[in-house]
Amino acid sequence: MKQRDRKALVFYIGMVAPGLAIYLSIVAYPVFYSVWLSFTDFNPNAGGVGNFMGFFHYKAMLENPEFWHSLKNNMIVVAVSVFGQIPIGFILAYILYRKMVRAEKFFQSMVFLPQFLSTIVIGILWKRLFVADGPVSTIMQLATGDPSAQFDLMLRPETVMIPIGIALIWMYTGFYMVIFLANLQKMNVNMIEAAKIDGATEPQIFGRIILPLLTGTIIVSSVLAIAGSLKGFDLIFAMTTQGLQRDNASVLPIYMYETAFRDYSNPMRFAYGAAISNAIVAISIVMIGISNWIGKHMSQDEVY
Amino acid sequence: MKKAVMLLMISALVAGSLFANGQQEAAADETIVLKVMGYGDNSNQEGISWKRIVETFEAENPNIDIQDELLYDEAYHQKVTARLASGDVPHVAYMGADARWGAPWKEAGQQYDMTKDIDTAQYDINLIPKMGPKGERYYIPMGTSNMTTVLYMNKNLVESMGFSQPRTYEDLVAMVPAAKAAGIEVVSIDGADGWAWGSCLMSALVARTTGDLNFVSKAVAGTKSFTDEGFVAALALIERMVKDGVISEKSVLVDYGTNTSNFNNEKALFMVQGQWAAGSIENPNVKDDMVLMAWPKMPGEKAAANNTVAAAWQVGYGVTKAGASDAAVLDAAVKFINFFNSEAEVEQRLRDGAIVAPILKGYVTPSDLPNAVTQKVLLAQNAVECEVIDAFLTGDPNDALNTGMQKIASGLATPAEVAAEVEALARK
Repeated sequence: MKQRDRKALVFYIGMVAPGLAIYLSIVAYPVFYSVWLSFTDFNPNAGGVGNFMGFFHYKAMLENPEFWHSLKNNMIVVAVSVFGQIPIGFILAYILYRKMVRAEKFFQSMVFLPQFLSTIVIGILWKRLFVADGPVSTIMQLATGDPSAQFDLMLRPETVMIPIGIALIWMYTGFYMVIFLANLQKMNVNMIEAAKIDGATEPQIFGRIILPLLTGTIIVSSVLAIAGSLKGFDLIFAMTTQGLQRDNASVLPIYMYETAFRDYSNPMRFAYGAAISNAIVAISIVMIGISNWIGKHMSQDEVY
Repeated sequence: MKKAVMLLMISALVAGSLFANGQQEAAADETIVLKVMGYGDNSNQEGISWKRIVETFEAENPNIDIQDELLYDEAYHQKVTARLASGDVPHVAYMGADARWGAPWKEAGQQYDMTKDIDTAQYDINLIPKMGPKGERYYIPMGTSNMTTVLYMNKNLVESMGFSQPRTYEDLVAMVPAAKAAGIEVVSIDGADGWAWGSCLMSALVARTTGDLNFVSKAVAGTKSFTDEGFVAALALIERMVKDGVISEKSVLVDYGTNTSNFNNEKALFMVQGQWAAGSIENPNVKDDMVLMAWPKMPGEKAAANNTVAAAWQVGYGVTKAGASDAAVLDAAVKFINFFNSEAEVEQRLRDGAIVAPILKGYVTPSDLPNAVTQKVLLAQNAVECEVIDAFLTGDPNDALNTGMQKIASGLATPAEVAAEVEALARK
């Protein structure tokens, strides 16, 4: 190796090593520890030595209806994110970009506002809307003339994700709107003007020019939405009270938390919780892989 | 030369002794860091008092630096688990010794027997329960037993509607039409919180319908079953209360703050909560005349369990094994706990409605105590104590029971189904 190359290598290692060390200790180590923990009966609270348990926790997890209930809710959150937040964000960005409303800066700020608020604050705010005789129930009482009417969708597992979905859309749509708006503003305006001169209508401009050009942005947003949805914990946790509501609205991270941090009747709860965490990671990888595959087939040149 | 060597030796001796003195002074000046995990938040009296106590103690003991963390409700329980699992064990912590408040400390092997550190001149040792299998005392309780199934009655409101203190469940049912006509609840409960059903209602009902004050611990141990007729009958009472209108269907959407607010604002004749909620009643029209009572005689109640109120050991502050491993830290920890339990602070706690009665030696109860405190003392003297469910039942079975009661109140499950689920999980 030439002296010049050696110097370059030393410089390269010097630049990469600190970041790599931080990554290994903060990101990689907990991941490997979690994988190891899930195959043992180790309880960090009680100490001692962990015994190898094989796939015991994974088998127990797959046999537990709570896991499937939480996974189903997680898939609903993913669907709300991908098919709710992203299209609405896109449409709002398009409306602002094409200046279809006045005071677009005001609307842009209002839609983006939830991004500046703490998730816990937003969760409590939505929770207060749905309490007994709260604002939503009061509106229902006025609309129906029934003074006993209550907003009780949070009490049923089949309906609990409706209010949560609305809150999720309210909270995150602004984020995607800003991403789309930034990409729309990068577009060549001449293309749109040329299409107009050729007699293209607004829907044709949207469907045949803007949408294809933003395919990459849509895929990147979908990957972000999927990853965010699967790890989502705070908003749903804050919106629900401990008990029936949280059980109904349980998603995998909440199920993991309830198992590892609260179930003192299970001495192997940390290992079981680690198995659930690893399942979340595995499902995320599969879903992001699917997004990448779709992205590659829709646009040959871009990697996500 | 000899003189020079002698001079050098004397200089070395003087310098050595000065250095040694300096070291001793440094040791005396050394600050002891006390890691403390407190309970409360800045919006409640417990939290406000905590900050004041810590600041005053540090001012009076400049060599003790308290690094405290104040958490409340679920946040406290989460952090205890996380800190213990990560090995970041506090020296002093708010703790209990039962399934709810003691389980993490017990599992982590951090319970330290404080018996020899208890100042018997300050505390009445007979009022501090033996908590461990060998009579260990792991913490200093803030007061005597903690009643959890208290029925708060707005006496003025009840009487203004032509009723008096109920003696039987039927008396409560008789109030339903008048309460409905006035647009208020008969009994308000924070039914959105799963724990409230177990700790504040079911714990008393189980004793009433089984006639066994210790049914829960027996069922947890396996000598009784959660599917026993008496336990199912207690669950069926919840169904009946909702059906009769004594407890509203919408109570499953009422949280803790709304519950106390409803009672404060005279939107309910009665409120179910623990004795600690007395401090949250601030409306003078309510608090000055309210009555704290046990549930009246319930349908199917066994004579052996008349007038029962569920009660658990009061929680308090204790030293952990990590704190006790260093003599200086242990001394500082005990000093702080004793300061926290000084007569002035305990009396304030009593007046704030946080405790039923102090455990201080020779403490003379003031004659000018607020009505809420007098009511608590009267209830504690007259009621029969039974077990609090989550002092014995923990984890999934307890969660299933709490959620199950919410389902019963919402018409989503039957008492038999809930009992069967709890029994299955308890035997798992």
